[in-house]
Amino acid sequence: MISDLLFRLRALFRRGAMEAEMDEELRAHFENQVAKHAASGMTREDAVRRARLEFGGYEQVKEECRDARGVGWLETTLQDVRYALRMLRKNSGFAAVAILTLALGIGANTAIFSVLDSVLLRPLPYQDPAGLVMLWENNSQHPNPHNTVSPPDFLDWQNRNTVFTELAALFDQHANLTGNGLPQEVILEDVSANFFSVLGVRPILGPGFTPENGKAGHDNVVILSYGFWKERFAGDPEVIGKAIALGGHEQTIVGVAPENFTWFIKDGSFTGAKPEMWTPFVFPKTFSDRKDVGRFLTVVARLKPGATVPGAQSQMTAIAAQIAEEYPDFNAYWGANVVPVRDQISGELRPALLILAGAVAFVLLIACANVSSLLLARAAAREREIAVRTAIGASPWRIARQLLTESVLLALIGGVIGILLSVWGANLVLAASPKNLLGVSSLPVDWRVLGFAAGATLLAGLLFGFLPSYIAAHSGISATLKEGGRGSSAGKRRGFARAAFVVGQMCLALVLLAGSGLLIRSFVRLAGVDPGFDAGHLLSFKISLPTSKYRDDKALLTFFQQLLARISRLPGVRAVSMCSFPPFTGLGSATGVHVLSQPERSLMDLPVAAVRMVGKNYFSTMQIPLRAGRDFNEQELTEERHVVIVNQAFVDQCLHGSNPLGQKAVIYMKSLEESKNTPSEIIGVVGDVRQMGLDTPAEPTVYWPHPELVLSEMTIVLRAEKDPLQLVAAVRSELRQMDPEQPMAAISTMDDLLAGSLARSRFTMLVLGVFAALALVLASVGIYGVIAYSVTQRTQEFGIRMALGANQRDVLRLVLGQGTRLAFLGIGLGVAAALVVTRLMATLLYGVSATDPLTFTAVALLLALVALGACYIPARRATRVDPIVALHYE
Amino acid sequence: MAQKRIELPQGTLDLLILRTLALEPQHGWAISERIQQISSDVLLIQQGSLYPALHRLERRGWIKAKWGTSENNRRAKYYELTKTGRKQLELEQDSWKKLAAAVAQILETA
Repeated sequence: MISDLLFRLRALFRRGAMEAEMDEELRAHFENQVAKHAASGMTREDAVRRARLEFGGYEQVKEECRDARGVGWLETTLQDVRYALRMLRKNSGFAAVAILTLALGIGANTAIFSVLDSVLLRPLPYQDPAGLVMLWENNSQHPNPHNTVSPPDFLDWQNRNTVFTELAALFDQHANLTGNGLPQEVILEDVSANFFSVLGVRPILGPGFTPENGKAGHDNVVILSYGFWKERFAGDPEVIGKAIALGGHEQTIVGVAPENFTWFIKDGSFTGAKPEMWTPFVFPKTFSDRKDVGRFLTVVARLKPGATVPGAQSQMTAIAAQIAEEYPDFNAYWGANVVPVRDQISGELRPALLILAGAVAFVLLIACANVSSLLLARAAAREREIAVRTAIGASPWRIARQLLTESVLLALIGGVIGILLSVWGANLVLAASPKNLLGVSSLPVDWRVLGFAAGATLLAGLLFGFLPSYIAAHSGISATLKEGGRGSSAGKRRGFARAAFVVGQMCLALVLLAGSGLLIRSFVRLAGVDPGFDAGHLLSFKISLPTSKYRDDKALLTFFQQLLARISRLPGVRAVSMCSFPPFTGLGSATGVHVLSQPERSLMDLPVAAVRMVGKNYFSTMQIPLRAGRDFNEQELTEERHVVIVNQAFVDQCLHGSNPLGQKAVIYMKSLEESKNTPSEIIGVVGDVRQMGLDTPAEPTVYWPHPELVLSEMTIVLRAEKDPLQLVAAVRSELRQMDPEQPMAAISTMDDLLAGSLARSRFTMLVLGVFAALALVLASVGIYGVIAYSVTQRTQEFGIRMALGANQRDVLRLVLGQGTRLAFLGIGLGVAAALVVTRLMATLLYGVSATDPLTFTAVALLLALVALGACYIPARRATRVDPIVALHYE
Repeated sequence: MAQKRIELPQGTLDLLILRTLALEPQHGWAISERIQQISSDVLLIQQGSLYPALHRLERRGWIKAKWGTSENNRRAKYYELTKTGRKQLELEQDSWKKLAAAVAQILETA
């Protein structure tokens, strides 16, 4: 092998000498042969001819010798590259179009890959992430497959399973951080002490939690996130052992999490935000009694070595069934759901990202077809050059390789520009994506991304270069030289190939347009959904009062009432109120409701309603219409009077048409035992409000006045006369006067929250829309190129036709006819393909079917019009052909 | 071409060259003459194809080349067998004989 390499290298570097030696050797042979024939009595002329025949093509032999010596590879490639560069410089217009097209295609693909890689492919920042699973409860009566878990179920799962090494439980909450600096609300996650060891993550500073920390009295420790440590403690390495005050309790810092560590499971999150610190959670003894506790834990577990997800699922299903049998009052219909962490984190995004990846691959294919088509046109112009090269000894393979080198070179230049574009494009995608949607803050350009780009480039180069090189290499020489390069069989094959490319491009473009059209339609539908309240000029922010300071209901009630009163007096405030879980702020509380007029049922069989605690004037502040009855009165807003207002969905789904007013209902919010819940009287009915997002219908909801169930955490909603954000400072100063340590959190306008709920569908619509537009442009350039080329080819023919009496309209029709035939064929195929493909995106659509006829008709028309427009330009040129000039053409 | 005789089967040219060089170092033309003579002009070798084969064998290290002076006092490139080339020749001769015997047997019995 080494000697082989040396031989090749020598061949490469001593090229001149080797060539001379080879020449000398061959000539010596030739002369010997001539001498031999001459000696046998031939004339010199005959001897030379005979020797030449016996020897074969001289140049061909030399070429084969070069190949045999292995010079070929390296040297001829260099030669090809030099030649290719010269060709590209000479045809700079062609090169620029091809390179730009490819750069767009490769750039878009690389950008989407880097997003896909960061979100779906890169290993999660945990040890052996494939062994981590989420455990949820799910109820066969309700649709949510990822319901949080009740502590007693968690404990039973822990004791009965044999498939997990360990289970960890957690839940997040807001907490007030006080002490040095501004009071600040932070996102705190309470985790079982084994949380970090289950994930296999060690803090970069400090010892972290010990099992001891999970016991009462030892839980006053905290681990900080890297970002929080950097921000609040300026990355101080001496931070371990210091204390911070969280909700009035001192907690000692025992760790800082690694920089790349993130943990955010949206489905179980009450704050909807990434945690900034973790404290150990001690299970109270009461938590083993199902009567006293609801479902609120997020559970993550590590599979034992050898255990599989399906195996774990079947065991968990069996355990859940056992528990349901033992505690029918609390666990009937409840099962368990095992979800790999990777699916949990990116599962929701996967369909959208995969569809974008497919779309962007289509764009690259269209781009390749364009470049291929351009190359075919140029190959036709170079037919004579190639024929001459073949005639003097170049093998078909050699010709094909020359042409392939040109295409790969084109692809390489396009690829490099594409990578630059992709950096910009990926950041654009990231900027267009709503916060927390992708779960990544930056998209690094690393060897994975570069490797992908290189692969895509090479593949593209071979893809679009293959057909032109193949045809060129297999065209007969003599035919070409005789026919002058026109009407040759290769020419016909090229024409066919280019027509096929146009059809293919139209087909792909239509699929993309259809997909993007469907997303636009869904987005319009979604944006047009009435949320059930007026979001204009509405500000919301959260106040969580520490219960260590506001110890009883009275203190809490008074604080909130005074705060609302103070804010309502501020200039520029039109109305103000509060709610425990206003719309678009995430999960809220929900429980079973028994309307006394309805038949008695076990708790598990009761209809479920969302429960909201509201302040004074909530409905008028939000502009939620009162449909029947009345709003809460002053008295009901200061003390427990057991009254409730329900929404229309509640009336429709839980009351089955009976008059709601005056009916009494037991709302199982304070306890799971009926005797401990005083029935509430329905005094009013209000309109439905969408809670989780515009695409989720309103659920049955009951509204209690705040005194009925006093929460320490409420969201204030404020209707301003003008820009609501301008009032934040004034509100903050009122709050400061009441309690200087009390922060405001999650400050946002309702318009922003609304936009946030549209964010995902807006994001996919935008990105796919950009790709579809790109596809449309590329495909129209493609059809334009083919028609324009054919017009040039047929100039003489048009001249003759016009000389014989055809008028401009006839020629126009002729050219447009050729274009429209191809376009319509492509569009027809595209519609058929799109009908199949768009079904894959059904989950991304809202209020429009995947085969929506209106969308399909509209995009088919659009594409047909654009294609026609692209054909019209060369067609016009054809009509302006001067017969005299045309006949002299060539 | 007028003197069309038997076309050389693929790959056998290498064997013939090695065998020819096993006797003594030779230059290209002499090799082609010798093969022609020994085969009593039955085999047809396009003379040009000899050279790519020589260069290929040289690259594989089975033969090596050096410049010398020919019978008629001209500079000529002489090829000679290397050690590995000799081994290779034995190997190929063996397998060729087996193949030939097998084919002959089939032709006789079938």
